[in-house]
Amino acid sequence: MRNKRGSLAIALAAALVVLAGAPVFSDGIYAAAAAASAQDDWKKEFEDICSKTQDSMSFTPDELKSLVGRCDALKPRIEKLEETQRKVYLKRLQMCRDLLAFVLESKTGK
Amino acid sequence: MKKSFFLFLIILVCSGVALAQTGTKKKRPLDFEYGRVVLNNYSEKAGFAPAVFNHWLHRAKFTCRLCHVDIGFAMRAGATDIKATDNMSGYYCGTCHNGKTLFSGSGKVFEACSKKLSAEDGRRCERCHSLGRNVKPEYEFAHFTAKFPKERFGNGINWEQAEATGAIKLVDFLEGVSIKRPALAIQKDMSIDAKMEGIPAIIFSHKKHTVWNGCELCHPEIFIGVKKGTTKYSMVEIFEGKYCGACHGKVAFPTIDCQRCHTRQVVGSEKPM
Amino acid sequence: MDYLQRIVILLILLLASFDEADARRIVAPHNYGRVIIANYSERAGLAPVVFNHWVHRAQYTCRLCHVDIGFAMEKGATKITAATNKQGLYCGSCHNGKYTYNGKTVFASCSGTTSRNDAVCERCHSLKKNSDNEGEFKVFMEKMPRKSLGNGIDWEAAESSGLIKPIDFLEGVSVQRPPIKAQKDFSIEANVAWMSDVIFSHKKHAFWNGCEVCHPEIFPIKKGATRYTMLEIDSGQYCGVCHDKVAFPILDCQRCHTGAKY
Repeated sequence: MRNKRGSLAIALAAALVVLAGAPVFSDGIYAAAAAASAQDDWKKEFEDICSKTQDSMSFTPDELKSLVGRCDALKPRIEKLEETQRKVYLKRLQMCRDLLAFVLESKTGK
Repeated sequence: MKKSFFLFLIILVCSGVALAQTGTKKKRPLDFEYGRVVLNNYSEKAGFAPAVFNHWLHRAKFTCRLCHVDIGFAMRAGATDIKATDNMSGYYCGTCHNGKTLFSGSGKVFEACSKKLSAEDGRRCERCHSLGRNVKPEYEFAHFTAKFPKERFGNGINWEQAEATGAIKLVDFLEGVSIKRPALAIQKDMSIDAKMEGIPAIIFSHKKHTVWNGCELCHPEIFIGVKKGTTKYSMVEIFEGKYCGACHGKVAFPTIDCQRCHTRQVVGSEKPM
Repeated sequence: MDYLQRIVILLILLLASFDEADARRIVAPHNYGRVIIANYSERAGLAPVVFNHWVHRAQYTCRLCHVDIGFAMEKGATKITAATNKQGLYCGSCHNGKYTYNGKTVFASCSGTTSRNDAVCERCHSLKKNSDNEGEFKVFMEKMPRKSLGNGIDWEAAESSGLIKPIDFLEGVSVQRPPIKAQKDFSIEANVAWMSDVIFSHKKHAFWNGCEVCHPEIFPIKKGATRYTMLEIDSGQYCGVCHDKVAFPILDCQRCHTGAKY
């Protein structure tokens, strides 16, 4: 009886470890959660930057520079996405970044 | 030597005539044909007829910005490089054409491109892949646009008035695709002088354009100069499809309708015949 | 081999000079400006359509049909079908059994009756059928001022003297616009020393054509942007889109080359 329960417990524990480790084998369940939220992070970042294009004329040159910088930092993250998402969001990011750069240029004359 | 030179000249002239861009009058597309885009990057290779996209049906429901900025369609036929896999993943056409999205008055939007095709699917595929096929459209132009205010050229419709009178209500936001943003501040109108004497100046309305396009559609891709007047262009470039001609002449009212833009009468101009 | 070369060049020249609007073949006045449209007629069991410009240009401006209604300026290019006519497009813009001209109702084109022997069909589908175009033209011509070649009629004088009053507006089709001041007349230098310059009158052309018939497709709006010669005109481009087909033929040199030579 005890043996059976013990082996059952061990089997359950082993199963939990395997399941927890399944998403990212080496790091386990936390990495999986991190990976999932990182997936959404780039999108959140994209939405945060590019929701501001409508107001771009009211920003200072420094604010615009920082937004353009954030676009440039986001680009490599988008380039790692799967093919279709990459195609779509690279284009959207490009339009967003170019507009911000355009408004920056009109304010600084450079 | 003289003879062969003469021969060469004849051939040159004939080929020049054949390739001439000006000098002949092209046939004007009919109102339901205007704004039609044929997409054939991969269709024929996959055994389908090229896809035919008619702007009039979509522009009666959505802003230009929604498709060309939020969804990411390019502004030239074939440049977006849409594949069936893109559609099936819920991008490009598949953003709405997924068999699930509901629009008021239209019901569920049919699904574009599926992995497994059954015999009944042939008809669904042909709703888009219809070039050269005798496909009866779901929405007939004359019937659909019967109550819209009319104008000449292009689609024969005054789209701006259609929206102003409420004949059409354009959707500008798509959940999960569009970014929530504050309302656009109204830009000022500006006057652009014509280069030729006697031609009325243009009153360019930023407001009219941004309501449908937002900012990113035109700046900087189409209008690159940041300060008004920095980019020098004339009607020649516009007729070639650049600047204003990126839309006007293809989807928006064509530039052959001079007085639609050249509205500011030259003060003291004599009345022509 | 020399004479062989000559024959080859001669053949190429002959071929290069051959086209449908052959100016060297002078057409009878009542047939000048005749357009035979045979895209689909024969397939539908009807004779090809014979469209005579003189009847219509006496009543309407070029602009109304070629801009507002949207007819192409090349034979067979409009791709008119019975369906489009029935919809009220192209011919059907007026030929709809409702539009009236001078108090008379204009007959409907392609009315949809199944009887193909309908006399109405043959009013247009009349190639090689009994149609008295020549007789009707003779009657019309009697009242008109004369000029050589083409229709034999001085259409410009006919209009300026009020003998014809071409209509420029069609209800439901045309849209009234504030008129743009007509551009000034200007002179075009002839390419050869022995021809006088052309004095081009915008005013005379704009009356019949407005701006849109010619600009920007036939003539770019920047003067001098496109170089063309009589060769292109003769092959049906630029001035040759109209002149030599419907407007007076280019064989009549001095009609255009009016600039003082000495």
